[in-house]
Amino acid sequence: MVEMLSEKLEWIDVQYWFYVLNDLSLLYLIIPFFVLELIRYAFLKQLTKDLIFDSIASVLTYGGFLVVGILLGLLAVTKVYFWIHNNFSLPHLELNWVTILTCVLLADFAYYWEHRAMHRIGIGWATHTVHHSSEHFNMSVAYRFGPLDAIMPIIFSIPIVMLGFDPVLVLLSEVFVQVFQTLLHTEIIGKLTKPVEFIFNTPSHHRVHHGSNRQYWDKNYAGILIIWDRMLGTFEPEVEKVKYGISQPINTNNPIIVFFHGISRLFKKMKKVKGFKNKLLVCLKPPDWMPADPK
Amino acid sequence: MKNSTLLFRSLAIIILIAGVAHLVRLGRSYTTGESVSYTTSPIVDEHTNTDFTESDSNSKKILNYNENTDYITGTWLANYKSAEFEGAVLYHLKKEGRVFNAYAMEYQDVHGNSQKAEGHKVLTIKRFDGYKGKGVYKMEYKGKIHNMDCSIDMVDENTFKLSYDYYGYSDVETWKRQ
Repeated sequence: MVEMLSEKLEWIDVQYWFYVLNDLSLLYLIIPFFVLELIRYAFLKQLTKDLIFDSIASVLTYGGFLVVGILLGLLAVTKVYFWIHNNFSLPHLELNWVTILTCVLLADFAYYWEHRAMHRIGIGWATHTVHHSSEHFNMSVAYRFGPLDAIMPIIFSIPIVMLGFDPVLVLLSEVFVQVFQTLLHTEIIGKLTKPVEFIFNTPSHHRVHHGSNRQYWDKNYAGILIIWDRMLGTFEPEVEKVKYGISQPINTNNPIIVFFHGISRLFKKMKKVKGFKNKLLVCLKPPDWMPADPK
Repeated sequence: MKNSTLLFRSLAIIILIAGVAHLVRLGRSYTTGESVSYTTSPIVDEHTNTDFTESDSNSKKILNYNENTDYITGTWLANYKSAEFEGAVLYHLKKEGRVFNAYAMEYQDVHGNSQKAEGHKVLTIKRFDGYKGKGVYKMEYKGKIHNMDCSIDMVDENTFKLSYDYYGYSDVETWKRQ
C-alpha cells in the first residue's frame, strides 16, 4: 500500500485527473445540479424574479473576480511561488499519491485559515461579504465573489510551497478544495449520515456558515473537512432554520453594487474614524471593531 | 479558544501532514538509494554536465545563466518505437547564444546495446519561457532532412513533451532528464 502510494506519478496524468475533477465538474456536476435546483424552486413556486436576478448578479461578480484572480494567479504561480519554491523551500517532494493527498489536506487547512481571516479581518470581510450578501442559497451563490477574494488564498498557500510541494500542485489542490466547496451551496441535500457529517463539510454545515442568525456568525469555515472547525473551536451544527444573508442587507441585485459594496462600506467606515492608526486598524481588526472614541 | 492553543494546534496539524509527505520521501530515497532531495538545482545540473561542454563555454554559460529557462539544459533520453527504429536516443541539450540546441549523443536499442551518435543537431528551441517553447525539430526521412516546427511542453522539471505536426505526420515524444 505504502509502496503504491509513494510510486512516482507522471505530471501529465495528474494534471489530467485534476482537469476532470476541477475544470470539467462545471459541466457534469455543477450546471446540472443548478438546473435541478431551479426545477425545485419552480416546483415549490419559489422561482421569483429576485432569485433569477440574484443568480445572474452572482455569476457576473464571478467574471470580475476571474479577471483579478487570473492576473494574480498567473503572477503568483509563475513568479512568487516558483521563486519561493526554489529559494525558501524544504527539499522538493516527488509527485506521488502521498504528496497529492497531503497537499490537498494542507490546501484544505490553508483554506480554513484563509476563510477565517476573510471573516475576522476588516479588509478580508470587505471583499468576502459579497459572497455572503445573497439571501438565497444555491450553486450560483458559490460563484459570488468579491474583488479581492483571490488575494488571501495566495498568501495562505505560500507556506505549503515552502514545505516542498510543487506550486502547480498547490494551485490545483486549492482549486479542488474550491470546487468541493461549490457543491455545498445547496438546500436540496439535507443532513447526511453521522460519520460523514462528523468528518466532512456538508451542505448542512455550510448553510450554517451562510446564516445571518446570530449563533451562526463566523462558524464552519471549512472547505472539505469540518474537523478543522471542530478542532479549532468554530463548529456549529444546523439546528435553527437558517436565514441567509448579512446583518446589513444590500437589497439590490445590481452586480456592480453587489461586487463593490464591501469595499465601499469599508471606505465609509475608514472615513468615519479619525487618525491614521485607527483607519489602518479598521482594515486589520474584525469587521465589527470600532475605536473607543471614533472622533 | 486561546490564541496560543490555536497556534499550537495548527502547527501540530501542519507538522503532522507535511511530516508524512517528507517521511515517505525519505523512506523512498532510502529504499531506492536515490538522492534525498528531488530538487534539481539548475546550477548543479550545469556542473554535472560539463562532460559535454567545453570549459570556456561552460563558464560563460554559468555567468549567463537564467534560472527560469536554462534548467532545460542537460542530458535527455527519448524512447522511439517505429518500423525504422525501436529503442532510445540520448540527447544533450545546451544553450548556444539565445537558443537551445539538442545534439544526438547515443543510440540505444531495445537489447541494451548502445552506439555513439555523430552528434547531429536534431532540435533547436528558439523560444522558451520555462514552461512552453517553440522550435524546429529535424527528422531524416528517406535520406532527406525535414525541418519541422515543434512545440515544447514541460511536464515537470525532469520531463517535457516534444510535439510536431508536419503535413499530417504528427507525433508527441517524451524526453526524460538523465
